[in-house]
Amino acid sequence: MALLLFFFALPNALLLSASFVKSEAQQLTHELTLENYAFLFTRALYVWAFIRTFVVGFAVGLIDVALGYPLAYFLVRSRSRWKGLLIALALAPLLASVVVRTYGWYIILNRFGVANDLLLGLGLIDERIAFMPSTGAIIIGLAHALLPYTVLTIMGSLQGINPNLELAAMSLGASRTRTFLNVVLPLSFPGIAGGFILAFSIAISAYATPAILGGPATQVMATAIYGFMTQLLDWSIGAALAVILVVCAMALAYAAARLGARQGAL
Amino acid sequence: MSYCLAMNRSSRRRFLKRSAAALAAPYIITARAQETLVVNTQGGEYQELVERVVIRPFEKKFGVKVLHDPTGTASQDYAKIRASRGAPGFDVAGLLTPPEVILGVKEGLLEKLTEREVPNLRHLWDKTWQVIPPGSGAPHTLQYAALVYHKEKLERPRSWTDYWEPQKKYGAKVKGHVIQYNPANLLSVYALIHAAQLGGGGVDNMEPAWQRLKAQKAFVGVVVTGSAEAVPHFENGEVWISPYWSARSGYYIDRGLPFEMIIPDEGVIGLFDVACVPVGAKNKKLAYEFLNWRLDPAIQREWALAYFSSPTRPGVELPAKFAASQLTTQEQLAKTQFPDSDVIGARRKDWTLKWQEIMA
Repeated sequence: MALLLFFFALPNALLLSASFVKSEAQQLTHELTLENYAFLFTRALYVWAFIRTFVVGFAVGLIDVALGYPLAYFLVRSRSRWKGLLIALALAPLLASVVVRTYGWYIILNRFGVANDLLLGLGLIDERIAFMPSTGAIIIGLAHALLPYTVLTIMGSLQGINPNLELAAMSLGASRTRTFLNVVLPLSFPGIAGGFILAFSIAISAYATPAILGGPATQVMATAIYGFMTQLLDWSIGAALAVILVVCAMALAYAAARLGARQGAL
Repeated sequence: MSYCLAMNRSSRRRFLKRSAAALAAPYIITARAQETLVVNTQGGEYQELVERVVIRPFEKKFGVKVLHDPTGTASQDYAKIRASRGAPGFDVAGLLTPPEVILGVKEGLLEKLTEREVPNLRHLWDKTWQVIPPGSGAPHTLQYAALVYHKEKLERPRSWTDYWEPQKKYGAKVKGHVIQYNPANLLSVYALIHAAQLGGGGVDNMEPAWQRLKAQKAFVGVVVTGSAEAVPHFENGEVWISPYWSARSGYYIDRGLPFEMIIPDEGVIGLFDVACVPVGAKNKKLAYEFLNWRLDPAIQREWALAYFSSPTRPGVELPAKFAASQLTTQEQLAKTQFPDSDVIGARRKDWTLKWQEIMA
């Protein structure tokens, strides 16, 4: 535990210190400054990158919970002899690299892609539409890539619910819908919160999918950090951006975890 | 009778040989490790090419093993060098560009080279040391940012204006078929410098470039960062006009891409690809040999023909037709612009920010 904390704390401490150092002509100086943060908070481009990052995180979390919950519920409650196969199919996207899956969406969404061909073929559009690069394309790609994580988390929570509780509720006259809303849903809330946090946390720090489906003109924080660190070689501003991402992500994940724990305890 | 005594003479010899080998194993392994060179250079579609033309013949001549690291762009490779304080895990940073080389010299992360270590340095074009600090690396490839266009869709452009203000020459049909590159790619920086020059500016006054970028935005259909990312958009007919590296242009046109490469009336900006040795390289001696090998006239010729680039030293014989599209004479080099990479490095962040604000 101490070792894990050390390897988490040390790089973050270095990141934090670099974010307060002035950078001149791509070189770190010994001068302490708050300019890096001021630079980021006074440029609309990066303010939009913050907003876009968290919009993407929330949207991906919500979509994955909305799609993942029914799927997880079905997989847990199913008595089909194909249950094992169905679970394997639900988790199959994890077998392919996220880059491969994202390029699948690239082939579908680009201006000369399958979606445009289909819409043109059906006569629904006259001109090709630019589905990407866009924030919507990033959300679609990440929601698909992260769905298995949400399904797994919610499945774990649903499996932990004693089926006798549902039987007891129904034996006392509750309908299936009421049993689900009053018994199953509240008891599975920690799983929902966990699935949301997981999808949210991975989505806001994801690089490959936003880079491919968003491109250089639709930046999120991860792609902006990458740009400062490896393309512009300005490590001060890159570090400041990374600190903001880590602090915001930890605060939001902590808040969501507290909320999940409180709802689960009720 | 003891076991030793029971051994015949040949068995005893074998035993002694094996014992000696076991005792000497750490030294043998070290000696072999010293004969391994790790080279970071081209990957992707060029991996096979660089291995066939440069790396394998080097291995054969020197009887050594080269481990080829094909990952990263020039700035990413330099980020690795910086993050590891000069010991990035490769002995040769084979594909840096002048801005990274200049930064590497300032930060003391690249070995200073002399003609003693790399004798072929003395044969390079005089211009070389005006572009990068003397002895900072071995420039092995020379190319330029050309203008390419789709032959079946557009008339031949003549000027950088035809790219920056495409509606003037081509009208509305060009809308959505112009490509823009993020200034993280030097190609974009060079194209922006041309745009600034069209309006009387330059690296010290980029305002005319931003005006042109704003006006051009309505006609831009594709925005990418890496040069290789543009290729699928050329192939599917989405992009009709683009600034593009002369080497990549030659490579793809030779493979059937319906594009033509031109040198606009205003001229072009040249680029040296430079091989450097990080200060923490494990096998510096062999790294210097590799740098010298890259500048060898026979290798320069083979590489230029295979990569569609120009040699970095005079006197390399090339077929006349091929040489016509390359920078092979003192006069051609004098006409080619080489903007101050120190200034580019210092201002690139601001230019990128401005570009992103306009294009976002």
